Amino acid sequence: MSSKALAHGINAFVEQIDRPVASFFNSCVHCGMCADACLFYTETGDPKYTPIHKLEPMRKVWKQNFTFWGWLAARLGLSKPVTDSELEEWEPLIYDSCTLCGRCSLVCPVGNDITYMIRKAREGMVAAGHAPPGLKGATIRAVEIGSPMGVTWKTVQAQIKHTEEDTGLRIPVDQKGAEYMVIMSSMEIVNFPEYLGSIARIFKEAGISWTICSDATEATNSGIQIGSSDIAAQLVQRIVDGAEKLGVKYVISPECGHAYTAIRWEGPNLIGRPYPFKVIHILELLDQLREQGRLRTEGTETARMSFHDPCQLVRRGGLVEQPRRLLKMVASNYVDMPDPGIWNWCCGGGGGVSANDRADPLQLRVFSRKKSQLDDARVETLVTCCANCRIVLEDGLEHYQMAIPVVGLTETLAKHLVTAPQETAKTDADQGEG
Amino acid sequence: MTIHNDSEFKSALDRLPVAEQRKLAARFAQSVSPLCKDSRVTAAIDAGLQPVVGDDKLMPFYNAVRGVCVESYTECGHVADWTNQAGHFVAEAAAACVMPEVALHGANPAWDAAMRARLARTCASIANGSGTDTSEVENQYHLLDDYLNE
Repeated sequence: MSSKALAHGINAFVEQIDRPVASFFNSCVHCGMCADACLFYTETGDPKYTPIHKLEPMRKVWKQNFTFWGWLAARLGLSKPVTDSELEEWEPLIYDSCTLCGRCSLVCPVGNDITYMIRKAREGMVAAGHAPPGLKGATIRAVEIGSPMGVTWKTVQAQIKHTEEDTGLRIPVDQKGAEYMVIMSSMEIVNFPEYLGSIARIFKEAGISWTICSDATEATNSGIQIGSSDIAAQLVQRIVDGAEKLGVKYVISPECGHAYTAIRWEGPNLIGRPYPFKVIHILELLDQLREQGRLRTEGTETARMSFHDPCQLVRRGGLVEQPRRLLKMVASNYVDMPDPGIWNWCCGGGGGVSANDRADPLQLRVFSRKKSQLDDARVETLVTCCANCRIVLEDGLEHYQMAIPVVGLTETLAKHLVTAPQETAKTDADQGEG
Repeated sequence: MTIHNDSEFKSALDRLPVAEQRKLAARFAQSVSPLCKDSRVTAAIDAGLQPVVGDDKLMPFYNAVRGVCVESYTECGHVADWTNQAGHFVAEAAAACVMPEVALHGANPAWDAAMRARLARTCASIANGSGTDTSEVENQYHLLDDYLNE
């Protein structure tokens, strides 16, 4: 890499060191509690996976630029500047062995938000040209095609048509004045199209006015994962433009963890203004419908079911009770795994790790924690509400030869939905052009 | 033909016992099997076409074909290859026909396989650029009709 790119990267690190980051570095007491909270440390025992250690290049930049003694030592040649080879060495620590799960931030006794710091460090790494090729590719596709997986509107239309045939319901597209706008992850278009069919059925029964926007179907945000605020803002802006064009009151974030972080929590700061609409997660909406008696189910699953808490939705997003209340509507034998809710352990593939092939062996190794959680609770069916978690879980279960089906929460509810008499559905299908 | 729409299709499938649903599931999966070259998928479909067999016989086929399903998922952030994705849904259709009774939990294997087979056809048509091939629906109505008239 050129010295110009390195300088650019170091400058990016300097720019990312805001007051919170500086105070976090300053207040770290080196207790090591973050290590015991990190999946990658607990499952490997390797101290290099201690979360605060992953930030060493950034700490060095902070010390040399923002502390008097560090600045003096650097000027006197007593401490060396961060080098390109150092960044190269740290790249796997920052991208392969951190899922931005937030467990380290939760346990830090002095309140350091280490996840926030990793997110900031990724900004410097990507500016210096040190990001995994898989994640770079996904980000380029997200900007150029509109989807990290290369899904085009034509493809979405094909899946919409399939869903209309499957459900007999019309999927509304570009309906101005609809109350809710649905966005989806590419994973739901490619691997789990039943998600769209499930919400179509549930919304019909609940009398929800909704639409898909042909200019803004994609919910995921590779900019957040790779660490590029500019790209993250661009991707958020597409959704905002779509929602404003259609004049919707709500945008529904789908069964995807980081999409929720991007559009709900980081979005307004990224684009520099508040939204003229509200963002609601699909499970929040379904829980509201349950409470209002507009989501009714019949029958229950008899298998011993448990819920895998996606980190971005539960620990970092606050959706702890909603999925449990919903699941208990249809699960007669529900059980929590050890460390449920905000203390849950990551699947191992969040934060862009699953887009990074280089991280595959490590991802499978750290799945041993999930395996032990599942074994302890003797789970027979695992439910979750993140398409990425779902595939990572299936991959891990296959690797450890555990025959446990993994299903999405929304589709599980739709399977038990109390539906209106058939004639109504027929009428709706007859009207549909899609 | 006595089956004209999905409502009639699903009702007819629901009236069949599980063993017959399994056989039909295998026929639906077989119809799209050229879209997947994996021998574990072919073996599962062949097993589903056999006369009634118990869970102990189905389990090895199910485990093997579930392996294909997991391997063929398009992971988050990877480019969707619609030809491979068609194969993925064929594998899921095949899995439906050999799913052991203990794992069914009230599901209808024939309906599940039919939906997966349609997805496979949709993905194949996306791969070839048209994205609108719905021929599998009519084909499935015929397959069910033929079965009911046997």
